[in-house]
Amino acid sequence: MNKVNNKSGNVKYIIARILYIHFGGIMSEATKSGWSRLAISVVGFLVGFVIARGILEQEGLATWIRVLAALLPVVPFSMMLWEIIKGVRSMDELEQRIHLEALAVAFPVTLVLLMTLGLLELAIELPPEDLSYRHVWAMLPALYFGGLALARRRYQ
Amino acid sequence: MKNRIRELREGKELSQEELARKIGVSRQTIHAIESNKYDPMLPLAFKIAKVFSKKVEDVFWE
Repeated sequence: MNKVNNKSGNVKYIIARILYIHFGGIMSEATKSGWSRLAISVVGFLVGFVIARGILEQEGLATWIRVLAALLPVVPFSMMLWEIIKGVRSMDELEQRIHLEALAVAFPVTLVLLMTLGLLELAIELPPEDLSYRHVWAMLPALYFGGLALARRRYQ
Repeated sequence: MKNRIRELREGKELSQEELARKIGVSRQTIHAIESNKYDPMLPLAFKIAKVFSKKVEDVFWE
């Protein structure tokens, strides 16, 4: 039993470390339970996403099942965002400023990319699988991390 | 804004880490303030001045 507990503790620790590196210290002031909740919500999202994709690829399912499956990852994803917000709130003023500056980079650049995509779509037919709006949401976190790196460099 | 935090901190033989812990911020924040890359907000400036038993204007100036 102890072995099982140690194993799950190690997995949580590894996920928490990965998150720490990716969020650039976002949870530095968070408590240990905050780390665990963040790690659990990330695992929940990944598992929920895989299950949802699996269900949605099956044919002949009732609409309400498809809708439920599609919304399944939203719950753990929202939990993850809530933990991140709590983490940012517990940071000191410089760390909060760095995250604000990262958003100030990510938001307008995402707007520019969306506008470019929209205008290009008027001119030519874009491949829906590669440039679908379903993939656009990934731009924000990617640009946010880019903004974080820029802001951190400024105050180093 | 300029400051003499480094001088005061070294006078008290405090490391950046120790000062940061005393006022509840990260070591990086102390480093950024000391190297004039970041101007703290008033509550933090007061906290810093209090650690050194100084007035804010004795620690920070334009």
